[in-house]
Amino acid sequence: MERKIRVLTAKLGFDMHNRGMSVVNRALRDGGTEVVYIGNQFPEGIAETALQEDVDVIGISSLNSASSLELMERVMGIIKKKHLEDKLVIFGGIVLPDDVPKLKEMGVNEYFPPGSNVDSIVSYIKENVPQ
Amino acid sequence: MKSNKSNIVKRKERKEVFTTSSGIPVKRVYTPEDIADLQYDRDLGSPGEEPYVRGIYPTMYRGRLWTIRQFSGLNSAEDTNKRYKYMYQQGITGFSIAFDNATLAGLDPDDEGAEFEIGTGGVNVFSMKDMEEMFDGLPIEKVSTAVIPIMWSTCQTTGMYFAMAEKRGIDLKKLDGTTEGDPLSTASCITNPTASVPFRHAFRLCVDLAEWSAINVPKWHAISFTSYNYREAGVNAYQEIAGLMAAAIAVIEEELHRDRGLGVDDFVPQFTFHLSSHSDFFEEIAKMRAARRMWCKIMTERYNAKDPHSKMLRFHIQTAGSSLTYQQPLNNAIRVAYQILAASLSGAQSMHACSYDEALCIPTEESALLSIRTQQIAQHEINVTNVADPLGGSYFVESLTNEVEKKAWEYLEEIDKHGGFVEAVESGWFRAEVEKAEMKREDEVRSGERDVVGVNCFKMTEEPYKVSFFRRDPQLVEKQRAKLQKLKEERDDREVEKALEELRQVTESGENVMPAVMKALKVYTTIGEISKVWKSIFGPIVPSGLAITM
Repeated sequence: MERKIRVLTAKLGFDMHNRGMSVVNRALRDGGTEVVYIGNQFPEGIAETALQEDVDVIGISSLNSASSLELMERVMGIIKKKHLEDKLVIFGGIVLPDDVPKLKEMGVNEYFPPGSNVDSIVSYIKENVPQ
Repeated sequence: MKSNKSNIVKRKERKEVFTTSSGIPVKRVYTPEDIADLQYDRDLGSPGEEPYVRGIYPTMYRGRLWTIRQFSGLNSAEDTNKRYKYMYQQGITGFSIAFDNATLAGLDPDDEGAEFEIGTGGVNVFSMKDMEEMFDGLPIEKVSTAVIPIMWSTCQTTGMYFAMAEKRGIDLKKLDGTTEGDPLSTASCITNPTASVPFRHAFRLCVDLAEWSAINVPKWHAISFTSYNYREAGVNAYQEIAGLMAAAIAVIEEELHRDRGLGVDDFVPQFTFHLSSHSDFFEEIAKMRAARRMWCKIMTERYNAKDPHSKMLRFHIQTAGSSLTYQQPLNNAIRVAYQILAASLSGAQSMHACSYDEALCIPTEESALLSIRTQQIAQHEINVTNVADPLGGSYFVESLTNEVEKKAWEYLEEIDKHGGFVEAVESGWFRAEVEKAEMKREDEVRSGERDVVGVNCFKMTEEPYKVSFFRRDPQLVEKQRAKLQKLKEERDDREVEKALEELRQVTESGENVMPAVMKALKVYTTIGEISKVWKSIFGPIVPSGLAITM
C-alpha cells in the first residue's frame, strides 16, 4: 500500500484565529493526506514534533502579522539546525505583502494568504512533496 | 397609468431559492399577510417600552447618539496613549483597550513564551503603571472605557483600571465603563492557548469581579456578554444570539446559586452585551431586534425581574472582522460602512468600526481615522439618527425578526439540552457546533454559492490599492523588559509579597478575590505574579497541544 503523505500542522505561538487552520486540516484529510495537528506551538515544539513524527510536510498558520515573520525565521533556523530541510514547509495566514519575499528567502516553500482556495493547498502539497 | 400586463416580461429569478446568510429562506416580496399575527403592544411596543424590540429608550439617537468606541491598543502604554489622544481629538466618545496576547495570557514580559507575543494584536500591559501611562491626560471621568481581556486576565486588567482611577482621585462609585469579562465567550469557540487556569476557576474569577463591582463600582458593567467571538469563529446569526442568552443565563444561575443575598435586579441591570454586525444587512437588523425581545422575555418570564433595566438589552456592536479580506483591502472600508449602517438602523448603544487594514495588521493612524469618520458620517450626514427604529413595521423586517427569534429559541433549547452553556462549552459540544457552522460557510465560498468580492469573484492578480501597514516597534520586547526591571526596583517588594500571600489565602478559601487583587495591584504587583498564584492553586491546564493524528 502506498504510504500516505504525512503533514504536521500547527498554529504558531498564541494566535487564536483557528478558522483557517480547521478548514485546511479538513481539506488535507479529505485530500488523502495524514494530518498531525498539534494545536498552538512555539517554533521549538513544531520542529521537535516534525522530527518525532517523521512528517513530509510542515504546515504552519498564524494571523498575527506582528510576530509571524520573526517566529517563522526561528522555525526555519531550527529546521536547518536539525537537518529537516527535506521537509516541505508551507505557511498560511498573514505576513504583510512586502514581507512575502522574505518568507521565501528564509526557505519557506510556499505562502498561502487568507482567502486561498484550500484545494490549491492540497494540490500544491501533492505536486511538491519530496519523493 | 395602468400598466399593460401583457408587456411585462416575467424574468426567471437568478436563483432557485434565496436565503439569508444563516439559511432562512426569503420570499420575493413581503406583504401584510406575513405579519398578520403581529400585535403591536404585545410583540413590538414603542421604543423604550417592553419588549424593547424597537429600542430601549424612547428617544433613541434623538436623545443621545451611539458611543463611538474604537477598540485599540498598540506597542506600549505610551504609544497607545498617543493613539488614544489622537482618536479622542478626532471625536471618539469611548475608549476600548485591546491588549496583546502576552497580557491576555497573564504573562509578564520576562515570562516564558512572552517575547513572541508582546505587541501581537494590542498593547502590552503588565502593571497599574501601564494603565496610568495609557490614560495620562485623558478625561476618564467623562469618557467611559471598555476593558477587553480574556477570562483569565479579567480581574487583573480591570483591577488595574480601577486602581489607576482611584489614584487619580476618581470616586469608584462614579466610574463608568465596561469589562468584557464574559467567561464563556472565547472558551466557547477556541482551544485557547492563552489559558492560564482551568475554565471553571476562571469562570469563578469573572463572577467574583461582577459581584464585587456590583457593590463597589456600581456604574461599571463588569460583564459584557460577547457573542462577537463565537460569531467570528463561525456560528450564524440566530446561533449567535442564542449563545448570548445562554451565556447570560449561566452567569445569573451561578450568582443566584452562590446565595450571597443578591437578587437579579441587584446585578442584571449592569449587564451589557457585545454583538457582531455582520454582512447580511437585513438579517443582522432582525437579529439585533430579536435579541432585545428575547432578553426581555427571559428576564420577565424566567427570572421575574421587576427593574426595567434588567430587561433592557444594552449592546455594543463590532463590525465583523471575519468579513474583511486580505485581498483588495480598501474594499473593507465599504463592508464596514454597511455593517455600521445596519447597527444604526438597529439601535445599538455603542459601536466599533473595524479598519480596512484589519485583515492584515493593527490599524494605522490613517485607517483608524477612517473608522471614526465612517461612524461620524452615519451620525451626522445621512439622517438615520432622526427616527427610532425606522424599519419597524416593515413587512420583511418584522417577519424576519420573528423568524430569527424563532430559530434562536430553538437553538437555545438545544443548548439547554446539552446542559446549559457552561456544560455545553466544557463538553466541547458548542465548539463542535462552531466548527460545523464554519465548515458550512467555507464550503459555500468554495463552491461559489456565497460570494466574497476579491476572493472568489472579481479577483485581481495584482493588488490594486497602495496601502501602508502597521508594524510593531522592533524594540518593544527589550523596552518592556527594561520597564519591568525598573518597576521591580522602584516598588516595595515586601508589600507585594504580603499582598500575594493574602491573595493566595482568599483564593483558597473561596472568598471573593477582588479586594486582595486591588490591594496587590496598588503596590504594583504584576499581572504575571498574580497569575502565578492562581496557577499554583488551580493547577495546570491539561495540555491541548498533544499530537492528534487525523
